[in-house]
Amino acid sequence: MKVTTRPLDDAPPLVEHDPPLAWISDDQTIIGFGEAFRISAGLGTERFDRARQAFVDWLDGCQTEDPVDRPGTGPVAFASFTFDSRSPGSVLIVPEVAFGRSGGQWYVTTVGDADHTPYLTAEERPDIERDRPRFAGASIPDVAWVEAVAEAIERIRRGEARKVVLARDFALWSRTRFDTTRLMAKLIERFPHCFTFAVDGLIGASPELLVRTDGHTVSSVALAGTAARSHDPEIDARLGSELLDSDKDRFEHLLAAESVERVLEEVTTSLSKDETPTLRKLDNVQHLATAFEGVLREPTSAMELAGLLHPTAAVGGDPTDVAIEMIRELEGMDRGRYAGPVGWMDRRGRGEFAIALRCAEISGARARLFAGAGIMSDSLPENELEETRLKLGAMMSALE
Amino acid sequence: MTAAQNEDPTDAVLLDALEPEDHELLSLEELAETADISTVVISMLVREGWIVPHPGPGGDRFDRADLGAVSAGLRLVEAGLPMAELLDLARRMDEAMDPVAELAVEVFARFVRDSVEASAASTAEAATTLQRAVDEMMPATAALVGEHFRRLVVKHATARLIEE
Repeated sequence: MKVTTRPLDDAPPLVEHDPPLAWISDDQTIIGFGEAFRISAGLGTERFDRARQAFVDWLDGCQTEDPVDRPGTGPVAFASFTFDSRSPGSVLIVPEVAFGRSGGQWYVTTVGDADHTPYLTAEERPDIERDRPRFAGASIPDVAWVEAVAEAIERIRRGEARKVVLARDFALWSRTRFDTTRLMAKLIERFPHCFTFAVDGLIGASPELLVRTDGHTVSSVALAGTAARSHDPEIDARLGSELLDSDKDRFEHLLAAESVERVLEEVTTSLSKDETPTLRKLDNVQHLATAFEGVLREPTSAMELAGLLHPTAAVGGDPTDVAIEMIRELEGMDRGRYAGPVGWMDRRGRGEFAIALRCAEISGARARLFAGAGIMSDSLPENELEETRLKLGAMMSALE
Repeated sequence: MTAAQNEDPTDAVLLDALEPEDHELLSLEELAETADISTVVISMLVREGWIVPHPGPGGDRFDRADLGAVSAGLRLVEAGLPMAELLDLARRMDEAMDPVAELAVEVFARFVRDSVEASAASTAEAATTLQRAVDEMMPATAALVGEHFRRLVVKHATARLIEE
């Protein structure tokens, strides 16, 4: 199979063509159409390695012509993994046609005889009738979720864990198909510095970079500890300042940062990180953030690193194994690919994976939204309920 | 301040009138059992200010009005309103209504209490008249506010249905 990458002079008109595969960030854009290869990565912690190996095996049958040779050029795989190793749904897809921007250079990659030219012309999007998102229920009623949060708090106070992240969901329906292109455009507009992604119906804008690597260096950002935002700059600054000074949030953040650091220390020869957490302000909430940069001990692919880092304490808890068991017992739903790694990897192992947050699983006129909150010993169930309400509301309004 | 601590007899009567009539107060556990909801949710409703416990020697106690508020909220939840949204509405309602309630008390003090005290032949007569006024006005206020809010809901729901 021949895979060809060619540089492009201008940005192609991509969003108009309803791309099923997308990764859009400040530094990197990859938009994919068609499927040259797809694998269901199965269950278990080995699902990351299974997906990576399948991609490597598929690459063995390819002849690549890539004069651009930047991160993301040549054959590229999109992947999305389930949060829980026991859940099915992890998937890796190689698009037939991938447009991208890497290091400021636009390019197109085609697999086999795939024709990219139809995507080079802007299409008038038909004026389709749109309906609003309509609530269809949740996996568990939020009264039961509040009780689960209280149970988690009790167990944490008894010393069984230090933190557990509990999530809940909204099921939505609409009288017409959800417009995923419009959703992505809204997410990019509302969360401009996040990682906007679309992989096999999972669409979102994550603020949290799980891992980025060029094969030799690695970076990651731990996010945990959340406060609301305000339209009033003074109140907004006060909320941010209170977040930075909050012992509860600082401790919650420390656990998340430590879980990233523990893994990166194992695979790097040198590792640097922010001395103190900084504020990461999004449209609807603000988080505490710690950024990591390191030099890898040996070349390691983005997918391997994602598998090693997942699940961080930011989305699972601490200690990880206890937190995962508590989530399975108390959450009352399968998260699917929510809070799992989502991203892309090229033939050299370069790639980026974010944690799939602020996302929706969309299938036609049905959607499922998710939101989680970090539960600590001094958490209050109503505050966690409110935090998830705000997060779910942000995604729901993006679907309007 | 309790009625016994207040030295003004008319104020003492007013404070008594504002005390719950129900002397059979419930503990948090009893309230939870009666309302058929967990103590976790009751505790959350207390922290949210949805129900306000009466401090007692054996801990917090709740009256029938608290039970009514909890039961009414649960009816809304059982009818499909998510608890998170209900709590948000309750917070907004509290924020919107608190200054109106404060103003209502001021209006009562200025135009009812002061007037009664001016015209009553004795303190005892003023106290009796004020007691009667409070007994009449509290349920009337609840009915008025409830009916007003019901009308607002109907107005917005009708407009929404016509728009759709």
